[in-house]
Amino acid sequence: MAGLELKSLRKSYGEVEVIKGVDLNVEHGEFVVFVGPSGCGKSTLLRMIAGLEEITGGDLFIGDKLCNDVEPRDRGIAMVFQSYALYPHMSVYDNVGFGLKLAGAPTDVRDRKVREAARILQMEHLLDRKPSQLSGGQRQRVAIGRAIVRQPEVFLFDEPLSNLDAALRVDMRMELSKLHHDTGATMIYVTHDRVEAMTTADKIVVLNAGVVQQVGSPIELYQRPANLFVAGFIGSPKMNFVELTVEKLGPDSVTVSGKDIGPTTVPADPTSLKPGDTVTPGIRPHDLTDQSSGNLVGEVSLVERLGNETNVSLRLPSGAARLAVLDGDHELRIGQSLPLAFAPDRAVIFNKSGIALHRK
Amino acid sequence: MKSRPSIFLGIIAIPVSALVFLVPFAFIILTAFKNKQQATLLDFSWPDGFHLWNNIVEVVTTRNWMLLTAFINSTILTVASVTLPVIFAAMVGFVLARRKTRWNGLIEFLILAGLMIPPAVVPTIWLLQGIGLFGKLHGPVLIEVAYGLPFSIILYRAFIATIPRELDEAAIIDGARPFDVFFRIILPLLWPVTVTNIVVQSVGVFNDFTNPLYYLPGNANATVQLTLYNFQSQFNTSYNLLFTNILLITIPPLLVFLFFNRHIVAGMTAGAVKG
Repeated sequence: MAGLELKSLRKSYGEVEVIKGVDLNVEHGEFVVFVGPSGCGKSTLLRMIAGLEEITGGDLFIGDKLCNDVEPRDRGIAMVFQSYALYPHMSVYDNVGFGLKLAGAPTDVRDRKVREAARILQMEHLLDRKPSQLSGGQRQRVAIGRAIVRQPEVFLFDEPLSNLDAALRVDMRMELSKLHHDTGATMIYVTHDRVEAMTTADKIVVLNAGVVQQVGSPIELYQRPANLFVAGFIGSPKMNFVELTVEKLGPDSVTVSGKDIGPTTVPADPTSLKPGDTVTPGIRPHDLTDQSSGNLVGEVSLVERLGNETNVSLRLPSGAARLAVLDGDHELRIGQSLPLAFAPDRAVIFNKSGIALHRK
Repeated sequence: MKSRPSIFLGIIAIPVSALVFLVPFAFIILTAFKNKQQATLLDFSWPDGFHLWNNIVEVVTTRNWMLLTAFINSTILTVASVTLPVIFAAMVGFVLARRKTRWNGLIEFLILAGLMIPPAVVPTIWLLQGIGLFGKLHGPVLIEVAYGLPFSIILYRAFIATIPRELDEAAIIDGARPFDVFFRIILPLLWPVTVTNIVVQSVGVFNDFTNPLYYLPGNANATVQLTLYNFQSQFNTSYNLLFTNILLITIPPLLVFLFFNRHIVAGMTAGAVKG
């Protein structure tokens, strides 16, 4: 039974600091996803947990054990790589059993565990093949089999699905969730795919430039993003941001207006604001609805009709481009003006430095 | 569809290369069948009688079965000076390719220096005498290893750089110690380079004439190439025996090549890491 604790973990390569003090608590059995743009340090953080990168500063606890200088094999972890990293000269059976062989497990125990892992992953018929004779999805299964056969406390996944085609990715995603449910082990998963993060995670850690932006459940991150970066990163299509001016402040609301939107009262924490300040409300494309009474009017510049919903790109009077996702099918002409409304309580106000001002 | 000139060139190339490679070989075989008088003519004629067996017996028993001693010596020399560079060069290549330190530049310079600086015979003999290895088989083994290492290291390092580092990391996570990573993961994947190395190095060492001549004096230390001197002298040369001897000592390198040739091709295709 092992959770994980990261205390102001740091990593630098010479002068360059890539992980700038990460604090994180992972409970036993949680499925945690590290997500962020390329180069944000999410893979480095995972490799530090695995023991493949040295820790420059801070403490890493796996279970209750300080693991900064513990060899990877003694950390109780298993890792699945993006490129699968199967040993090309060994059969699937030997690939899966390699760790047990190194650990000196008796042949019958090894055989039982390898076959058990193969049964769980439905790849018993592949055991005699070489990796070069397998398809991408099958190779991924072998890589996962190699991880589960070690019965680790913590599974680490480094973008395990990004080399698979779209359909297979959805299948494997569900299988990973099932595996998590069946084994009950702690899993840490790195991805840049937001949908993967939203669908699999108990807890998402959003990273940018080596700093944790926000930690929370997927829905929390979607509904109450901590800052502009998280708001823009989580959710697809991307949140719309409009620069507006504060008109007046209520006890727990702010009234804003601007070129693009008429006066609107949005629930927010007004303590740090004064009238005349510039703020950035964020509105999800799915929260916009077409209503003739809407106070956001734009000119249609692109329409994508998907049948169940319609993606509309709009040009606002200020020249800014925005995106709306409307329910159902809409016949719209390019160039026509379209009034849109939104529920103010679903908008989020960000101050000038990009921090969200959620209502207390 | 190939163009006309390339087919034309191919048709010419086959008989030309056959001529270059097969005619000398045919000459060796023909001469080995002849008796002394006919062999002295050194011409391309059909042997008068079947003298091969007599020639072989005489070549093998000359100077107290020297050829057998020579075969044993050459085998020891070849096996030792092929095995050691293969293992050591692969190890050095592995470390050079995987671990970047500020010493890498210096080490690479030394390797290149090993390729470029010409070997000097007299100081080498002086050194061998100093450490008591002159006239013993160990000395030339070390010398052949030293000659073979730089090139093998360069070959191995280039190949190891193409093996994804994630394989090492996966093995480390699986619990492999550095020696496990090398011997169980990296070395098996290096098979194509190892075969190339074995073929090039073993044929080179087995056929080496000058190094054993300098560093291995004495009848008991003769290698196969030195036995050729048994039948060739300033005033009297037995060409039939000389060519029989050549025929006998050509067989082992030929076998090595025939055996490993298959593996070179097979190894190249099995080496694919990702597909």
